[in-house]
Amino acid sequence: MRYLRALAARIAGLFGRGRADQDLRDELEAHLEMETADNVRRGMAPAVARRQALLASGGVIQATEAVRDQRGLPWVENLAADIRYALRALRHSPAFTGVVVLTLALGIGANTAIYSVVRGVLLKPLPHRDGERLLYLRQSTDGPNGANVRFSVPEVRELRDGVTSLADMAEYSPWFGTLRLDDGAVRIDLALVTGNFFDILGLAPIAGRLTSPSDDGTGAPPVMVLSHDYWMKRFGGDPGIVGKQVRLESASVTVIGVVEPAPWFPDRVDALANMVVSPHHLSAQMVQDRSHRMTETIARLAPGASLAQARAEAAAVYARGQRDHPAAYDAGSHFRVAVLPFKDALGERARLTVWLLMAVAGFVMIIAVANVVNLTLMRGVRRDHEIVVRAALGAGTARLRRLLLVENLVLTGLGAALGVVIAVAGLGLLISVAERYSPRAGEIRLDLAALGFTMALSLTVALLLSFLASLPKEGSPTFASRVASGARRLSMGRAGQRLQRGMVVAQVAASVMLLAGAGLLTRTTLRLSAVGTGLQTEDVLTLPVPLLDPSKLDPASDGATKAVYDQLQREVRALPGVLEVGVGSTMPLRTSALAFDLKVEGRPPVVGEATPRADFRTASPEYFAAAGIPLLEGRPFATTDQPGSGRVVIINETLARQLFPGQSPIGKRIALGGEVLRFTPFSGDWRTVVGVVGTTQDGGLDAAPRGVVFSPFATEFTIFGGLVIRTDRNAEALAAAATRIVRRIAPTAPIADVLTVAQIKDQSVSPRRLNAALVSSFALLAVLIAAVGIGGVLAFSVSARTNEIGIRMSLGADRGRVRRMILREGGSLLAIGLAIGVVGGLLAAQVIRGLLFGVATDDPVTFAAVIAVMAAVGIGACWIPARRAAGIDPTTAMRA
Amino acid sequence: MPEKLDVQQGTLALMILKTLEGLGPLHGYGVARRIEETSKNRLTLNYGTLYPALLKLEQEGFVTAEWRQSENNRRAKYYTLTAAGRKQLAREARDWQRTTELIAAFFVPRQDAR
Repeated sequence: MRYLRALAARIAGLFGRGRADQDLRDELEAHLEMETADNVRRGMAPAVARRQALLASGGVIQATEAVRDQRGLPWVENLAADIRYALRALRHSPAFTGVVVLTLALGIGANTAIYSVVRGVLLKPLPHRDGERLLYLRQSTDGPNGANVRFSVPEVRELRDGVTSLADMAEYSPWFGTLRLDDGAVRIDLALVTGNFFDILGLAPIAGRLTSPSDDGTGAPPVMVLSHDYWMKRFGGDPGIVGKQVRLESASVTVIGVVEPAPWFPDRVDALANMVVSPHHLSAQMVQDRSHRMTETIARLAPGASLAQARAEAAAVYARGQRDHPAAYDAGSHFRVAVLPFKDALGERARLTVWLLMAVAGFVMIIAVANVVNLTLMRGVRRDHEIVVRAALGAGTARLRRLLLVENLVLTGLGAALGVVIAVAGLGLLISVAERYSPRAGEIRLDLAALGFTMALSLTVALLLSFLASLPKEGSPTFASRVASGARRLSMGRAGQRLQRGMVVAQVAASVMLLAGAGLLTRTTLRLSAVGTGLQTEDVLTLPVPLLDPSKLDPASDGATKAVYDQLQREVRALPGVLEVGVGSTMPLRTSALAFDLKVEGRPPVVGEATPRADFRTASPEYFAAAGIPLLEGRPFATTDQPGSGRVVIINETLARQLFPGQSPIGKRIALGGEVLRFTPFSGDWRTVVGVVGTTQDGGLDAAPRGVVFSPFATEFTIFGGLVIRTDRNAEALAAAATRIVRRIAPTAPIADVLTVAQIKDQSVSPRRLNAALVSSFALLAVLIAAVGIGGVLAFSVSARTNEIGIRMSLGADRGRVRRMILREGGSLLAIGLAIGVVGGLLAAQVIRGLLFGVATDDPVTFAAVIAVMAAVGIGACWIPARRAAGIDPTTAMRA
Repeated sequence: MPEKLDVQQGTLALMILKTLEGLGPLHGYGVARRIEETSKNRLTLNYGTLYPALLKLEQEGFVTAEWRQSENNRRAKYYTLTAAGRKQLAREARDWQRTTELIAAFFVPRQDAR
């Protein structure tokens, strides 16, 4: 108890020192007076009496020190003094402090921010219950758009029943619709799910309930579960929405609950509904047709089963299914199924980019640490004189080491504090970038473990540096010589020099690797931007106008729909500045939603050959002119093209070359084919090819060219539709006017994605551009730091060798020779660093191959440029110290 | 003159407390004088030993200190024993007694050793 009280008293004793000291002085003085008075009473002379009293006291100053030590907490006060001193010393070398703090802060901040992203996007466990056992299945084929062709319901059911390692499988079908709210119509991205979906996924509701098997089947009332994001965004997080009915298309759907926040895959989802919401999904076609593939599926491993088992069983069941139903699997496409852990599937798109960022951050850390080490070593030598004086004045080794330690800790502390700021700011930036790549971007949080780790790393560096410095020991043989050499001692030991050189080489190598990465990514971006879109102009406005209720494919209502589009086309055409307006199912540079197998007249399908497949679009006669798609052969559609007079189509160049290599396709006939056709409103009649148009880069500039078949808009059932507007002035400015017209004529159509072709193209390039920008900025920073590093080390070496240079010059070396000598010293470090960096860069490029486009991993242009830049910067950094060395006056140098 | 002894910190605290118990509130000089007398001048206290000890006792709550007018009309800081201090004194005196008896037992000549 008394210890606590004493401790509290001592803590209190840290404050109010001035008054306490005065108090003590008075007390001791009083003691002295009393003793003096007693001595006088004993017969001593006053002066002697006082002197005796003083002797007996044992020293007032020592006593004051002793009381002070008892009064407060001496180690705290010493530490406070050391910190104050350290701050003062650092303030006196602002350049050193600034560079070290900045580089440390950058290293800590960048690494923490990037690692937080890695953790959130790739490493963190899923919020789903038992997320490790959640699986995702994917069916794919060769060819464009074959990466995920989805499943048909019979296929899913077969797998579910046949693979015993899977406890259960759920179907979900991405769909879309129009939600009619009080303030207008909005498009809503839906997923239609089976009743077991949420149970398999392992998610819980945060309001209301989730769908269950009781919501399956044609008799169940239509219900909907909102995703957490959509609930917050559209309904403001209002719990009252549960139980309410909303109008989806023309039906009333009850909102039964809101699901907890979770990443959605493969597409973003606003709400999940039961199958009955879309009659099509419960139709015979959907349920029975094996080649009608619109379903995604997730599964959960059965207890005790392993992923390998599930994969093997799925492969067996799938192979049997293929054998039993050959019509649904044309041999040329190489249908296959993959079973992946759900977590891996989520991370697919982000993985490469994220690891790239991680590598970049790692390099920056290396460079930062190397810099700090070098600068501290150099500074340590400059302060050597001061340390020696302190030692001579009586500071023990421990005290000196504590001094250095505190200074280094203050430095790293400042760096860490700034690093936290950078980490938080950088994280905000990275999260907005990550949203494009990963559904889990919302889960990214500042990772305190990463912060702690990088700070601990910096701390270790600080500690090491404190113990690296060789401190003078009293009585050691070198002590006297160190005092004698005084302020002129400006070199460090062998070990120190080797360490310095090593650091410089590391910096150069790391900078070169970063530069190489930046160079490759930048070239990728340039290549991508240079890819021709296939359109003749990019100043074209696209305006998708979805009018159709996708759950009602009813031919009778088509006439009214067409009339709306006609009116839209006419009115927009009348706007000032509009040159041409076309109507089509798909906007230029967008992927088509429909694709069909094709048959060529006179060419029966060959077994083992892939069935030709093409995207299917509709277009009005003005479409191609409006969009700027060049007509290469034949003629555009005309109003005389009616079904009665024989169906016509226009195909694009890619399809022409695929189906009719070396011939003119004009006049040839093709037809849509495939099992699924009979369930669509499109006919399988033979159609004559009347024209060939240029290929456009649909679905991304880095995608392979796709074959497209165009049918006249007026003669086909309208599923999708939109306007393509060519203008002679700024296309963006037209957006507002055109949108107003659409809202007036078709108020129930949800308007979104009103973009010019230029903007769509940009969307395709921007992820790569961002990568390149990020890596480039880091690379430039690295080069800068490395340059400072080399220059500093070399300048330091010159200062140390002043004497030697003076001797050389007096022995006959001219300025040029001295300059060359210094340059050679710097140049050798540069060369070694470059060599290591280039080798490392070539290896690292292999890893990021997936991010490159049109550029080889050992692209000579990039590497040559990198070497040139680094060499130039390096030599430039060496130039100043070299010139300074050459300018040394030999007489003063030797006298020094 | 018997040789001077070095005083240990813990025992000094005991001596100070005992002095204050016996003589009542006393200033630092008075405490030092009294201890030196009691030890028959075998102990000399310098300020660097005495005053930190007094401060420690104050921090632990066994004494309180206040400035008063001394007998010669001088201002001096007087230390007073507190109730807790009295208890501590009793406790330490008891411990000291036990220790003394224990050690003394080692040095009693053994009657039964022939």
